Amino acid sequence: MSSAVDHIVPPAVAEEELFRAQVYALLARLFARAPDAAFLTALGGLAGEGGEFGAALDRLAEAARDSDPAAVEEEFTTLFIGVGGSERTPYGSFYLTGFLNEKPLAELRVAMARLGIARADGVTEPEDHIAALCEMMAGLIGGEFAPEDGDTVGLDGQRAFFDRHVGSWAGRFFADLETSPSARFYRAVGAVGRSFLAVEARAFDLAA
Amino acid sequence: MTRNAVKATDEAVKQGKDTQGTDKGLARRDLFRAAGLGVGALGAVAAGVTATGGTAEAAPAETTSTGYRETDHVRKVYEVSRF
Repeated sequence: MSSAVDHIVPPAVAEEELFRAQVYALLARLFARAPDAAFLTALGGLAGEGGEFGAALDRLAEAARDSDPAAVEEEFTTLFIGVGGSERTPYGSFYLTGFLNEKPLAELRVAMARLGIARADGVTEPEDHIAALCEMMAGLIGGEFAPEDGDTVGLDGQRAFFDRHVGSWAGRFFADLETSPSARFYRAVGAVGRSFLAVEARAFDLAA
Repeated sequence: MTRNAVKATDEAVKQGKDTQGTDKGLARRDLFRAAGLGVGALGAVAAGVTATGGTAEAAPAETTSTGYRETDHVRKVYEVSRF
């Protein structure tokens, strides 16, 4: 049995895992700051490969082609930064408790310490920002982040982190984004995030 | 595919195989494919995530096996002790 696993599964699984990490990295990039002109152009060339996620990618590509960088920058600020309160609050603690910096953030910090992850120098936002969490998922999948005494985080460990810190709220955040009054480009980003997370959750169930 | 990525996912498979088995691994792969999460769908954007992952002065130039590059939010703590 183990030889079958070794010979058949690893290359294919490795590709899927790589792709998952890339999607998380893409989401992290899009929620860390607004895409510039060059990145919008690259996004405009996306072509989905079917399914709900593929359709969402197609819509993201279309939105990228229809957007100009200055407008997306302004949209990003209104949605996530905004003077006097942004339209959306992309933090886990807020979604889970209604307030920033509550117990979910404390729990995340414990998990991060165990996995060798720290907030980057100069970053003042709490660690439960959606971009930071997507970076963490990408790093866990790629093996960049791992327990100090361990090797890499397997699917079980990824699932535990995902269920507690990402899947518990990010789907609602992405869905909210899809209906945000000021969202144009980020409406399409929300759809990509929501459909991806749905696949992630089902895939973790399959591996259980 | 770099060595590290293969190693990481090999490890994930090994850790899961006792309870997971080949069928579940394949079912998981099929699910991703059916959902349109095919490898290569991100294409140039995957490289773009790396290339534009941060400005030179803001981000450490640390590229991992996934093409993922640490951007503004988090970094690895155990730079040396693990190796």
